Amino acid sequence: MPKVVVSGLGFICPIGNDQETVTQSLRELRHGLSVYPRFEAPNIPVRVAGLVKDFVTDSPEPEDWKYPAMYKLRREVLRGFAPHVLYGYCALTQAIADAKLTPDDISNLDTGLFTASAGSSMLTYYNLGRMEKNGVARSTPMGVVSSVVGTLSYNLVAAFKVLGSSCGFASACASSGHALGFAWEEIASGRQKRMLVVGGEDGNLETILPFAAMRALSLNPNPDTASRPFDVARDGFVGAGGAVAMVLETEEEAVRRGAPVYCEMPGWGMASDGYNVAISHPEGSGLVQAMKLALRRSNLQPGDVDYINAHATSTPIGDTSEIRALKTVFGTNDAESPAISSTKALTGHGLSLASILEAGICALSIKHGFMPGSAHIQNLDPEAAGLNIIRTTVNERPQVVLSNSSGFGGANVALVFKAV
Amino acid sequence: MFEPVSNPLTPEAEQNLRELLKRCSPETVAAALHFRTTNDPAGVDIVVLGIIERFLDPEVRPRLRAGGDGLRIFDDLGIDSLTMVEVVMMVEEVLQIKINNEELRDLRTIGDIKVYINCRLKGLPLPERPVYVHVAEIVALLPQQPPFLFVQEATLRTDEARGVYKIAGDEFFLEGHFKNNPVLPASIMLEALGQLAVLYLLKAKRAELTSPVNPAKIFFTACDGVRCQRVCRPGDILTLVVKPKRIKHPLGRFQGHITCGTERVAYAEEITLTFDYLATEAPASSDGQPENITSAQTG
Repeated sequence: MPKVVVSGLGFICPIGNDQETVTQSLRELRHGLSVYPRFEAPNIPVRVAGLVKDFVTDSPEPEDWKYPAMYKLRREVLRGFAPHVLYGYCALTQAIADAKLTPDDISNLDTGLFTASAGSSMLTYYNLGRMEKNGVARSTPMGVVSSVVGTLSYNLVAAFKVLGSSCGFASACASSGHALGFAWEEIASGRQKRMLVVGGEDGNLETILPFAAMRALSLNPNPDTASRPFDVARDGFVGAGGAVAMVLETEEEAVRRGAPVYCEMPGWGMASDGYNVAISHPEGSGLVQAMKLALRRSNLQPGDVDYINAHATSTPIGDTSEIRALKTVFGTNDAESPAISSTKALTGHGLSLASILEAGICALSIKHGFMPGSAHIQNLDPEAAGLNIIRTTVNERPQVVLSNSSGFGGANVALVFKAV
Repeated sequence: MFEPVSNPLTPEAEQNLRELLKRCSPETVAAALHFRTTNDPAGVDIVVLGIIERFLDPEVRPRLRAGGDGLRIFDDLGIDSLTMVEVVMMVEEVLQIKINNEELRDLRTIGDIKVYINCRLKGLPLPERPVYVHVAEIVALLPQQPPFLFVQEATLRTDEARGVYKIAGDEFFLEGHFKNNPVLPASIMLEALGQLAVLYLLKAKRAELTSPVNPAKIFFTACDGVRCQRVCRPGDILTLVVKPKRIKHPLGRFQGHITCGTERVAYAEEITLTFDYLATEAPASSDGQPENITSAQTG
């Protein structure tokens, strides 16, 4: 079975729009959250969001958008985009350059593209409103492809002339974990030599605010403390947007091309709670199974894991479930516990973006030799006693890293990364 | 003639129009306002071209400005069917007309669009729907075959046939015409026009053609008033045009010309073909002189 490695990364996210800035933010625990002007209406109880900087994508018309001049986009390509597709395009452009891939390396039968996106609520809302007001004959012909759940996949496959496997994944906050996991399967099974994986979210009012109806968002108006996974006073997550791209390929391909290798991805696992449409199992049963399967698939023991990037989104119920799941797999002796942190304290919760953002953080942590701390904890949840939740960055290179993600319906994914 | 009216727009309607055309040139906005306040169709071409230009990437825009009516919407400007829908929606809203999908499919060139819009605004009957003939059908219909086929696609109307020939550069005759200097022979230009005229006889609907024409019995018999105005080389895309002057069995007379972009390439006052029907029901008419044919089978 071919060994799968990570050979390229690209980031457009609240803590930076390039790898260097993201790495710096992680090391220094500098968060990317702020008061979102669109949340300042008196009838909106939420204030803080993780916004993408240097992009202006508020308009439903892509031609109005502003984005860094280094990304060149033709109208024909841009016209079918949603905001997160633009972020995804830019992140993938970075990852391709990072992995030193030529256009021919991307456009061939051995290279595929998997994406994770929940579509664009903003464009769906706008386009349906326009259809109702003006009639369907006066509605934009790009309305469907720019807004439905597959939009990230359709657009990027066409824009980058992808010829191999392609598919979009939608499993809420585990989506990009599934995209990475199944991309790994494509390569491990020999069907593809290389997979580009992109996850993205618009991260605007239309995406985030509906979660307030579930009482899932933090109502804390202070960007410095609104997202505080594992803190006893956590009161919900902070929504975020952006996109992250990762290049996975066989080690043989990466070596042949002389591409930089961040780490190996030795395996992954998934399992479901079978419990509630929106609430995680109180003991994290599905996540326990996902972590065990991921380690087994990777021929590793729990004791081999040095660092865990937790899913913990800063919701009272979700973090508790994950704490219990971690204790079930890794025990309650904090001297033997792997280092654990949730970087959502810095990035906010990117939903479909979250898993690949954190997978990218794991790859950076292995490459650059550090484990980012779990920021903003003033009083650690007593339930977490026995787990080594690191509150500051540890400047050591982890050899084996686990990244957890859990989505609606109790869909759980655990990804494993390993130093090479 | 249009009925001149003075119909000032409400401030709101003018604001909507300006908003709709916000990415168009100032001339486009001015022409649209003029049309909407006067109903004068004179400046409508400016509006339509301005709207098309707005959907083009900056590097393609000069092509539209230089182009002329033969410019093809998809092949020359890269406007796909989805962008065409966007163009049409904007034109409909600005000019307050309705374009249906059926009619939209027939608009292939800038000239087609101009004619269509003008007919709609002036209440004239729409031009007939042209017949498009793709290369596979041309190969199936014509007796001429590669490497001696010089019509790669064609559009037929009652009064005109248009064809395209792109000089690939690997044509066998270019090796010797001329030594180290490939130039399309003038005789090939005439041949190309003749082949297009053959296609017309085989495919066009015409009352004078009382029965299907036999492709094996069409021959080039005369040409008059030929002038060549431009040297053509590999890479040039030639637009071929023949217009029937008189068709009466067994002779078809055509006027023909060739352009490359906006430049004139060649002109033939008259190209004459003889033809016969598949079924020989009618006796040959007296003004034909098939016995005088001297040229090789060509057109």
